[in-house]
Order: sequence, then structure tokens, then C-alpha cells
Amino acid sequence: MAREFPRLPEELPTSAVRYVGKEVRRVEDPALVSGSAPFIDNLQLPGMLHCAILRSPHAHARVLKVDASAAEALEGVVAVLTPDDVKRWANAHVTSPPGWGTHCIAIDKVIYVGEPVAAVAATSRHVAEDAIELIDVDYEVLPAVASAPAAIAPDAPVLFEEHGTNVIQKRVYTWGEVDRVFREADHVVTASFRWNRCGANPTETFGCVCQWDLTDNSLVCHGSYQVPGFWGLARSFSLNLPANKVKVVSHPMGGGFGGKGGARGTDIAALLSRKAGGLPVKYIEDRMECLLAGGSQSWDRRYEASLALKADGTITGFDVKLLDDQGATTETYGTISVAKPLAAFTGNYRIEAARYDTTLVVTNRAPVAPYRGYGPPPHFLVLENLVDMAARKLALDPADIRRRNYIRPEQFPYTIPSGNEYDSGDYEAVLDKVLKLADYAALRKEQAAARAEGRLVGISVVNTVEPGVFDWNAYATVGVQGVGVPEGARVSFDVLGNITIVVGFNLQGQGQFTVAAQVAADYFGVDITSVKVTTAATDATPPHFGQGGSRVGVAITGAVLGACQKLEADFKRVVGHIMGGLPPDAIELMDGRLRVKANPAMGMTVAEVAGTMLGRSDLLPPGMEPNPTATSVWTAPGRNMPDEEGRCRSYLTAATATHVVMVEVDRGTGHTSILKYFIVDDCGTRLNPASVEGQLQGAVAQGVGAALLEEYVYDDGANPLVTTFVDYLMPSIHEVPITRRDHIVTPSPVTPLGAKGCGEGAMHTTPAAITCAINDALAPLGIEMTETPATAQRVWMRLKEVGAAR
Amino acid sequence: MTTRQRTRVTVNGRVYEREVEPRVTLADFLRHDLHLGGTHVGCEHGICGVCTVLIDGLPARSCLTLAVQADGMEVTTIEGLRDPETGKLHPVQQAFVDAHGLQCGFCTPAFIMSTVELLRDNPDPDDEAIKEALGGNLCRCTGYETIIASVRLAARRLREQSGPA
Amino acid sequence: MKAASFDYHAPPTVESAIALLQRFEGEGLDTKLLAGGQSLMPMLNMRIARPQVLVDLGKIEALDYIRAEGEAIAIGSMASKRAAEDSPLLREQQPLFHAATLLIGHRQIRNRGTVGGSFAHADPAAEYPAVALVQDIRMRAQGPNGVREIAASDFFVTFMTTSLEATEILVEVRLPPFRPGTGWAIQEFAKRHGDLALAGIAVTLRKANGRCEDVRIGAFGVNATAVRLPAAEAALNGQSATTENFARAAAVAGESVAEPLGDVHATPDYRRQLVKVLTERCLAEAAARAA
Repeated sequence: MAREFPRLPEELPTSAVRYVGKEVRRVEDPALVSGSAPFIDNLQLPGMLHCAILRSPHAHARVLKVDASAAEALEGVVAVLTPDDVKRWANAHVTSPPGWGTHCIAIDKVIYVGEPVAAVAATSRHVAEDAIELIDVDYEVLPAVASAPAAIAPDAPVLFEEHGTNVIQKRVYTWGEVDRVFREADHVVTASFRWNRCGANPTETFGCVCQWDLTDNSLVCHGSYQVPGFWGLARSFSLNLPANKVKVVSHPMGGGFGGKGGARGTDIAALLSRKAGGLPVKYIEDRMECLLAGGSQSWDRRYEASLALKADGTITGFDVKLLDDQGATTETYGTISVAKPLAAFTGNYRIEAARYDTTLVVTNRAPVAPYRGYGPPPHFLVLENLVDMAARKLALDPADIRRRNYIRPEQFPYTIPSGNEYDSGDYEAVLDKVLKLADYAALRKEQAAARAEGRLVGISVVNTVEPGVFDWNAYATVGVQGVGVPEGARVSFDVLGNITIVVGFNLQGQGQFTVAAQVAADYFGVDITSVKVTTAATDATPPHFGQGGSRVGVAITGAVLGACQKLEADFKRVVGHIMGGLPPDAIELMDGRLRVKANPAMGMTVAEVAGTMLGRSDLLPPGMEPNPTATSVWTAPGRNMPDEEGRCRSYLTAATATHVVMVEVDRGTGHTSILKYFIVDDCGTRLNPASVEGQLQGAVAQGVGAALLEEYVYDDGANPLVTTFVDYLMPSIHEVPITRRDHIVTPSPVTPLGAKGCGEGAMHTTPAAITCAINDALAPLGIEMTETPATAQRVWMRLKEVGAAR
Repeated sequence: MTTRQRTRVTVNGRVYEREVEPRVTLADFLRHDLHLGGTHVGCEHGICGVCTVLIDGLPARSCLTLAVQADGMEVTTIEGLRDPETGKLHPVQQAFVDAHGLQCGFCTPAFIMSTVELLRDNPDPDDEAIKEALGGNLCRCTGYETIIASVRLAARRLREQSGPA
Repeated sequence: MKAASFDYHAPPTVESAIALLQRFEGEGLDTKLLAGGQSLMPMLNMRIARPQVLVDLGKIEALDYIRAEGEAIAIGSMASKRAAEDSPLLREQQPLFHAATLLIGHRQIRNRGTVGGSFAHADPAAEYPAVALVQDIRMRAQGPNGVREIAASDFFVTFMTTSLEATEILVEVRLPPFRPGTGWAIQEFAKRHGDLALAGIAVTLRKANGRCEDVRIGAFGVNATAVRLPAAEAALNGQSATTENFARAAAVAGESVAEPLGDVHATPDYRRQLVKVLTERCLAEAAARAA
């Protein structure tokens, strides 16, 4: 049944909206500032053991022997998990194309440094770490594949011998007459780009406590799980359990950003529990494990790309060739990450034709994992830099070339060549607002003056589209079926009128519990303090997915509204009955009262109705259950199957932002200073503006890291050289610019209350914006930085090549 | 196995005496022996600052301090800030709530501890002083803007609370 | 990431600490001194360092002081870097040492890390050793046979290695008087504020009749220990304090660094460049300060 949702906050059944769209203090925060939020490592269960994992020191080697006898003999050791156990009890992970997954512990062969080889459960983590040092492993070292080009070289060593190749997937998507538009173009700009690995690194690493019930043959996993139901399903496959025998309890998460890779840790802890007679086993990934082989490495990409243009700057074609290093396996949806740019392939622009030539390979680097934005951030770095290169070639201002190619407001809903439909937008209004905010003309004057002094000052104007609210067909594009993304909420009243909302996901930082509370409080006209939002284990929640794809804000709004509407319908029946047998449609909900339309003075508060339902069965209409509870599960409307070129309506919303950035490059050190940073964005209705602003500024910080600092470096033998926070450089308070921001609101016509996905936000734009600004600074020298991160050393080497270093 | 050491630490005003294995860090001791889970652990090698507590009044990384080193010392953790009677948040905690100085909240106790010490010595810090005091605390969510705002808000309220100078 | 097992001792006096060191040496135990632990603890947690015994100097209150002794300033090895940062004596009389202190890590590190610990740890990227070389800071080491003084140039041997004997403890660093009118500067380049420097330069110089004299340049983060750059010093000594001369001396500095370190963050070439740039900037800053 398709529901009609309020399209804007003003359409909620209240005469004055109190919460939705207002800056609301988050309901999550008192516990978090008190240190009392139950993050997973705070959980201690009776008899709990602690797990440590022995990891491969080799990038590629056969495992000849694992002798754990000395470890087993150590006092305090309860169980040791070896490849033989895993062979017997577990399957390869299924979240990869068939045949490209691996087991939680290496069987026969290790294919990256850090791959688990054995694991121990002991009475303390200290003892468990002592024990893994006693495990004796014999390896036969094999030649390693250190990079994507090496993976496709003739005679390259092959990781998955049964495939005979390191190429997981090669696919060319063609949309429109690409060859023709390039043939007919007045100008073609072409460049190569290299995005080196960076990744999520939430401040809390992954953790879990798993307990195997040997009688019932069932499993409970407590942990920092962002998509609990899906995670349970995946465990049922990897551990040979019926899906309803895996219960996942999600704990608050100390950040996620896509990068909490817990598949191996969970399976290992679960199997250790099984081997330890059913005692609970805790595994807390430590930071070095996280950096080495957790879920925090993403985007190892090489691009060659071209834009076709008319003489007036109209962009007609976009041709992208991508060589993507997935690392040693593809179990963390890497193929999907490569396909996600289809949701916004041509960015903010009307581009007639496009091509996406993708080659995905395995190498002996650590497996890549999702990271905020998933696929598009590197893609937009390519597109936006090419647009700037075109602007330079045509002597156009970067703002002007963008303006003349924008999708125009009246063209929405707009279908882009790669098939997705953008819901709404006004890109020119965003551009105008940010140029004004930045006083763009004055910035250019300031730049001219600096350049006259020989300083390398650059300015960028960069915009992107953030695809929000993904759905199952975004996965189906690349042949991964069956991943539905329902999001459910159960809203219930107690006898005194307090509201409890149960959702399927837990806290991760985005403030979605607050959004749920805002919506319910305004819907029923109650104070937000009387709404409690909580999560439940997978055996007690409605269908759900959880955080991912910039969708929970929109999805939970839909779910809570849906449940509220169902309750409203029940309440109207009750009140109509009590008011002398009036039909439900003679009753209306307004400001927390169910009142008689014809005589608004007559009515009952929602609390009175709920109390009556639960306490006075004699007053209820015949057949009505005493149950002021409703569950609703939301999913995006209008999703369709992809066609043969991958085209479909995948992401429901299209938010946008334009960043104006001014940087200065130091000729002596190559260091880039961010001098000024302005943002105007449009993500439709801002459900809790404070949270939206937080997402924006937070994503800027991660974008700064990706653009300038963060990099996982490997040597020629695929050995990782960055395995600590001494070397993996996340921006501190000194490195992140405090941005000046403003926004416009173009509500989504297709979502409840008009909100768009905005959680990934600035991560799409900031890396592109900073590199474009650097390239504007370097433009007088005729050089460009097309590799991330643009570290001081990299920039200095470019300066030196042209004799421009000091 | 090494000799355990009798260790006496005052935490949030309460004296704890325990036999401790020397290799146990103060962070692990607080979290797992004393069940004070508000001090989080982010890297265990002294970079992220998530485990910051006050030792004898000064911010310190509890992952870089052994529990046995803290023998005889006074430690203050996030659990020690709230009014134990009323549960009322410390002004710095409340300012982080009001100015949205957190998202996931994992690094937040550490930022709050660093801020408490900063504002004790410097009731009206400028942005540079705030950055200097918080430069050893990493946050992956907020981009720091609202953290700076929270510190400024807390400073203003604490100044108002203590009356005109 | 948990440390391997070790035994722990926290002696109350220098003498008892030395006695412990002698005993453990006799027993053939691998022993390490703990002087704050801000550098040692990560190595313990990662099991890179796995001593059998830790001797913690943290309870030796007699080593926690910063005081004037005549015109010199004596810093007890267990004085914290925070104490050095907050010391009016150092701020007023030893501006270079004080400025170097502020560059060390972050506040939490300076609160727990000690001055002596930094010297004895001898990290090549640390600031103090370069200052020590430039300012002729002297180390006092106490062992079973009493106290001896060690010049900075003899103290730092190579990576994380000093000339302290296994049974010796660094008890004090002595800063000679900082001559009024001396120009000074210390600058470093790190990818992030507060990180260990990829390269750093400490400079002192004097000016007489517009000419530079007694130019001292120390570099850190570029070799296995901090080093002086005598060729660059010579290039500026006796020369007038001009931008051109600073640039010339800086170029010599960059070229004269022998075999700079290369790692994941900086190639040897880039370190050479940083030495050049930082030297030029430091010389200008120091000359501006010189009376």
C-alpha cells in the first residue's frame, strides 16, 4: 500500500511545528557526553574470553603448517582456532562475486599481509596476545601482486588460481553516442588520475562479543554493527546457521563511515566460542589491525578520462576508464562501489553521452572496504578536475563553464545518461549564493595580487551531486541481488501516553534517533522528552537495513510517519466510537488531540486515547485490539530493474553542494594551506539543521584528509608501510578549515517531508575542491596535481620538475 | 608471569587499591578493572587522544601510562564530572550537548577532559589556545567546528557562573 | 595491542635505581628505564620493545626540578615538559629551549613526558638534541661510580642510542647561559601540527657590525641523530646578515647533510630541501632577533 506522506514539515498535523526543521538538541547526547553509552568494549559477560588473531606477515604465501600446541598449553588459553576448524565449520564470505571471497581464517594460502591465520580465546587479551606468539606457522612465500597494473601484467602471479586471472570483472557501460560526440567535439581534454588508498578509520575500531549456544546451535553477536540484519544474514551463510538462529545486537558505534569491517572478526569470535564450549568471546580489533586489515582501506584507483566540449564550453561527452584495485578479495561490496557513480555519473551537468570502462582486479594488498561516499568521491575528483582543465583551455572562468552546463531547474526530474533520475535541484541558485558568500570577485583580485608577488594562490569552484537513499537496484546493477533495504520503525504508546520508537539500527553519530523523535513528537504534538528511541536485537526489530547510502534520515522519517499514520487511524476509530459512534473520518488529529471536525472542542489527547485503549477495553469499538502500537517499514517508491547498460532509478534523491576554496602552495616545501573555504548546499528539507551542518563540516575534515594527508602506502612486495596512526595522518583541529556555509532548500518531491540524503555530503566535493584549487594555484606554471593525497612532497616534486621550487 | 603490584589510585575522589599486572595500562585498568567505561581507547599508541584522562589534574593519555605508574596519583575521568547527587551535567558536558560538539561521541569524553583543564587555567581562550589544547585529540566526525564552539560556550558559562572578575 | 609481560620497579632514589640496574645487569635481564613513557609505552604496547624489567624513575622526586645554578639552568631529568613549558625561568632566560619545548607533541604528551626522557630516548626527530648541540647543553649521568658530565656532541650516538652506560641514569641537563643579544630560531616541518618533524632546524647566531658570527645550525629529523651543519655555519660566519647570504648558507646546509633519511613520508631529496628551506627561514628569523 503506497502511503501519502506529508511532503513538507508544514503539512504535519500541528499548527506550529516545534521540532522538525529546527535546531534540536540531540536525544543521543547526554549519555555520550557522560561516557555512559554502551560501546561494545564496555560489554562484559560472565565467563567472557578474549580473542587475539595471528595475522600473516606475508603478502602471498602458501600455509604449509599451523602448529598451535604451544599456544594451547599456555595457562589461560581456552581455545585456538586453526584453518582446519574453519574448513570444517565455515564458508567463504558471500558478499563478493562468486568465487572471489575468502574464509575468516586463511585456508591453504594467505593473500595479504594481515590476513588471519589462527586465533586464540583466552582469559585476557594480554594472554591471548602472548599465545598467538607461540603459534608456529610454516609458509612458502609466493611472488606478490603489488598493484593493479601488476595484476593485469602478462605472467602476473594469480591470487585465485581457479580463475586463472586477477581480473574480477571487466565491464564497459556505454550511454549514448560517445564516439560520435568525441568525434564532433571542438575540444577534448584528457588526463590521468591516481587516487591512492585512504579510508574510514572511525575512532572506535570494530568490536564484537559472540556466543554460540551449543544446545540450540544458535549464535548471538553483540557488536558495532551498522547493518545488523544484513550482518546476521551474512553470518548464517558463512557459519552454516539458519538465519533465524543468528541474533545480532547492535551497540552504539564510535563512528562508522562505511569502514567497520567486522566479518572476519565476528566469524572468528563466533567459532572460538563454539570451540570454547559456548563461552562468550570478545574480539576488539586494535588500531594496528584496523589499519592493516580492517575495513579502513578504500579506493585504490587509476583513471584515464576525457571530456568532449563544444567551442562555447558545452560539455557533450564524458569518457572514463577505471582500473580499480580491490585488494586481496572483493568481499566488501567493492564491485558495487565501482558502480555507484552510475547514480550521479555526469554530476551537475547536462552531458549527452558517457562511457564507463571498468576493470576490477585483485592484488595482494588488503581488501578495500566502503568509505563515506562509497564510489563517487574519486569519480568527482576526475570529473571536476577535467571541467577545470577545460575551463583553462577555453579561457573560461570555472564558475562560468559550470553554469552553462548545469541541469536547469525546470528539467527535473532529470534522467542522467547512466540512468538515475535526479529528483530536484537548483544548481545555479546554489552557485550564485556561494559566489556571493565568498565574494568571488574579491577573491580573484586577492589571487591576482598574490600572483603578482610570485605566490602560488589558487581558487576553485566545485560542485557535485550527492546521490542519496540508495535501494536494492543499486546493487543489482552489478549483479549482486537480494539486498533489500527496508527501514522499519515500531511506534508504541504506553498507558500514560509516553512514546517508544524501536528501530533496527543503533547510534553511529548522525543523530537519527533524534530525527525519529522529532517526527513523532511533532506528529502527535507531544514534547520530545516524552519520546524514547531505542534499538532492539534482530529477533525483535521490524525489517531494517541501517546506516548506508545516505538514507537513514529519509528512510526513518518515512517509517516513523507511516507508523504514526497507522496509529492515527486507530485513534480516530477509538475516538469516533467514544464520541457517539462517529465514523473515523469525522475525527482529525491536530496538535496532539483527536478532535471532532464538526466540533473541535470535543476530543481527546493522544495520551488519553492510548490510555483508554490499554486500560478500558469496554470503550473500544468492536474488534479493536488494545494495542496502541504500529509498525511501518519504508522503502523508496518507483525503483526499477537495471537495463543491459546498468540504467535504473537507483538513488532516490540528488542533493548538491558547491564549494569555493582558496589555497596557497608553498614553493619551498610544497605544503598547501587552505586559506578560505565556503560552502552552499541544498539537501532539501533540513530535518535537524544542526545535524546537517555537522555532517557537512565533518565530511570536509575527511575530505581534507583524503586530499592532503591520508594514504596507505605499500612497497613493491605489497607490504604495507602505513600501519599506525604515526603514519596514517587523519586531520587534527589544526588542519581542518572552519568553513563558512549557507544553504538553499529545494525539497525533494518524492520523500517524506522533502528531505534528501545528506550524510556523505562534503566527502563528494572536498577532495575535488582542494585539488582543483591547488591546480589553479599551479596553473601559471603549467603543471597539475592529479594524484591524491597532494602531499607537500608530491607537490614539491612537481614544482621541482618545472624549476618552480624554491 | 610477572609479579603483580599493589596499586592505590584515587579515581574521581574514590580510592581504589588493586593488585595489578605491571603491563596493564591505566586505560585498561580504568575500563576493565574499575568498570569506568567512559574512558575510551582509540589507538593504544598515543596519537588519537581518545583515552585522555586527568592525572593529578593534567590531561594525559591513559594508554601511555601504566596503571602501576599511577600509584599514589589522582585520576579524574569523564564519570567524575557529573554531579553525583543530581546527575546534572558538568557545564563543559552541557556545552558539548548544547553546541552540538559531538556526533558519534566516542572521542567526546577525551575532548571534554582536555577542555576542563584548559578552562581551569584559561577562562577565556581564543581559537589558537583552544586548538593548542585540543591538538592532541582526534575527532573523525565533527570537523572540529562545533567542538570549538562548545569550548567557547562552556567558557562563557563558567565565567558567568563564577561572576564578574 | 597489549605489552608483553615485564616486572616493574619504582625506586624512590637515584641510588636505589642504580642499585637495581646493577642487579638486573648482573642477572642478565633486559632492563629499560621508564621516564614518563610517552615514547616507550607505544613501543611496549606494540611489543616492539619487550624488556624483562622496567625501572620507573617517576617516583624519584629529587629529579624533578628546574632551577638556576649560577648563570646556568639545571633541569632535573624527571621534570616534565609541561613544567619546562610553564617555567618562567626557561621562558625568560632560555628562549630557544623553551620554544623547542612548545614544539614537542601535544599537551597530553608534554604533561607526562619528561625532559630527561626525551634526551635519553634520542629519537632522531626530537627537538631537544638539536638544541643541545647548538647550545652546548651538558648531560649529567649518575652511575655506580658517581656522576659524570657528557657533552651533547658525545651523548647522542645513533638512532635511539646514547652514550649512557647500562647502569647509568641521566639525572640532569645543564643549559649554559644564553648570551643576551643572541639571535635564535627553531622551525620544523611536519605533515600535521604536533607530529614528529620530517625535518627541523635550530639556529643561534650573533651579529657584530652587521656581520654574522658564531653561527650554529642544528638539524633534526634528517639523520640518525641530530647534527650540526658546520659547512653552512662557515658559509655565513663573517658574512653580512642579508637575505642572499642566508639563502647561500641554506643551500650549503641542504647540500651538506650527509645521506638524509628516507621513509614513507619524505625521500632523502625532500629532506634536503626541507633543511634548505627551514635553514633559510631560521637564519632570517634568528638574525631579526639578534641584537
